[in-house]
Amino acid sequence: MKLTVTKIGLALLLAAPAARLLAADELPKAETILDKYVEATGGKAAYDKLHNIVTTGSMSFGAMGIKATVSSYHAVPNKTYTEINIEGMGKIQDGTDGTVAWSLSAMQGPHIKDGEEKAQAMREADFRAETDWKREYKEVKTEAVETVDGKDCYKVIMTPNTGSPATRYYDKQTFLLVKVAMTAKTPMGDIPVESVLEDYRKEGDILMPHKTTLKQGGQEFSITIDTVKYNVDIPPETFALPAEIQALLKK
Amino acid sequence: MSFRIALTVGVLVCCAAAADKPLTEAQRRLNIESFEHVWTTVRDRHWDPKLNGVDWQGVHDELRPRIEKAKTMTEARAIMSDMLARLKETHFGIAPADLYDDMGSDDDDAGGGAKPSHEGNPGITLRVIDGHALVTAVDGHSPAAGAGVKPGWEVLRVDGKDLSKRLKRVRGEFASSTLLDLLEERSASGPLTGDVGSSVKVAFLDGAGHASDLTLERIRPRGVLARLGNLPPLYFWVEARKVRPDVGYVRFNIFFQPDDIIKSVREMVAACGDCNGMVIDLRGNPGGIAGLAMGLAGWFVDKGGQQLGTMYLRESNLKFVVFARPQPFRGPLAILVDGCSASTSEIFAEGMKDMDRARIFGTRTAGAALPSVFERLPNGDGFQYAIANYISLSGKPLEGIGVIPDQEVRLTRQALAAGQDPVLDAAVAWIETQKK
Repeated sequence: MKLTVTKIGLALLLAAPAARLLAADELPKAETILDKYVEATGGKAAYDKLHNIVTTGSMSFGAMGIKATVSSYHAVPNKTYTEINIEGMGKIQDGTDGTVAWSLSAMQGPHIKDGEEKAQAMREADFRAETDWKREYKEVKTEAVETVDGKDCYKVIMTPNTGSPATRYYDKQTFLLVKVAMTAKTPMGDIPVESVLEDYRKEGDILMPHKTTLKQGGQEFSITIDTVKYNVDIPPETFALPAEIQALLKK
Repeated sequence: MSFRIALTVGVLVCCAAAADKPLTEAQRRLNIESFEHVWTTVRDRHWDPKLNGVDWQGVHDELRPRIEKAKTMTEARAIMSDMLARLKETHFGIAPADLYDDMGSDDDDAGGGAKPSHEGNPGITLRVIDGHALVTAVDGHSPAAGAGVKPGWEVLRVDGKDLSKRLKRVRGEFASSTLLDLLEERSASGPLTGDVGSSVKVAFLDGAGHASDLTLERIRPRGVLARLGNLPPLYFWVEARKVRPDVGYVRFNIFFQPDDIIKSVREMVAACGDCNGMVIDLRGNPGGIAGLAMGLAGWFVDKGGQQLGTMYLRESNLKFVVFARPQPFRGPLAILVDGCSASTSEIFAEGMKDMDRARIFGTRTAGAALPSVFERLPNGDGFQYAIANYISLSGKPLEGIGVIPDQEVRLTRQALAAGQDPVLDAAVAWIETQKK
């Protein structure tokens, strides 16, 4: 249940600071770091109690002064629906019913994801991917200790079953995830994106970041989470494919 | 999501209120801060790290002492504009803070407390043809319509000032620029605009060649006030109708309000199931949200994955991919453009031309198509800067070149006075030839 936004057509990247030289055998195994992260944010038992999460929040597009609201639904095993309403631009929807990954907006129209873009969306839709990362990643490796915002962090390379690796930075002291970097696979091309996660606060039994700042394509924007609800009664139609997507599938 | 703006700042600054009071020390400091912000932003964000070979540090060192000594906002703004002009590219500009403060809101209709808008005009659309400022359209129910002004009339003087001198100066300076038509239009239309509710004296030459002096009230521009982040508010309208029972027609004045534009196009496509063709009229459209070109194109292609072109940023490249709508319009498509069609209009028109999906009618576009963003500066002014170059599908850059129509059609005074639209007529005639 990570705070990712690639599911809404964005993705994450990293500007690599200078690596601190440590011998490989001095670094903890990536498996250990990932376990520690789960432990630090509530523990596997707390995660396992959850079967869905509904979040609302806001987005701010940096210097451009554009603001948006966000509502996101995420349910087991791999269903998502995200709706962003941008002032002056309208609604952007994105989701998957567990089989089809799609996006829809007035700006770009309906789109059914395929190939690596779909693999990325489905990976992010996997509700248990944090506690059972082996479902989605074939290899994880601790590469170095690097400084992020003044804190020593373990740099972990996550190689998914399909697609290009992502780089995660876990705080060496707290094991919280503080930065993620990856290349978003989009129809517009590969877009390197960097995200910084902060303002960790408890929601129920889970400690989660409430602010994510993303840099992509020379622009910066932030997402702030306002409300989080677990195990709520989400109407099944929330994850149903919109009519335009269904029409595209029939085409 | 592409929130880049492809809209020339020139459309925003034609009628900014002057604020030429001496600067306070605080304002002077904010201007210096703004100057540094503009300079640094261009250095760090321009898609070409070499800035087309411009000695940017040298520009800074030359102009910094001048901004420190600037005595008025106008002077400070001119120095920052001068800095940006050294790049010799469109989509770099400074929009006066007044533009944010002085435009009324849509709530003005409710009455009471309405602030004056400097965007008021008598309801006339002009184009400069062969050095003459001709009326090409008159808004229904506007003061100009009420006074009997008709397309084809020539505007000779505004408030006693001869337009021909202004136009001659613009033509002299920009004769070889693709921006000429746009700048001439701005130069001719500028004096007509002013505070809503104020009056303007216009000396016309009517369709029969008779002089006609009229005093016309300036009213709010057509449409609704649309806002997008730090971009100054702009009036937006869209119209969709059939120009003949078998030809659909969609026109909007700016690429804003995606939901409204797409709704109109969707409805026209639905109503045009048996149409022989469709016309998208982008004449006078200065651009707007760049990504909307993709969404619009999706209504006219049958196969997804095609692209209009590519945006080249410093960090990466973004393809302008078209997602086909489930039930697009498959018939002949005509796109109308003129020298005042810019930015997103050019991205859309050239891309559709390159895909061999549309035939372009009219005159060469403005050649001003750099995707940009809009920020507020510490001194309150707006700052537009391009962050990418744009190359169309065919490999052709649009900046400084523009879209060359497949069929050039020029407006004439005679045709306008006769109530004709030769560009639209040519498009409809072509659609007629495409009947199967």
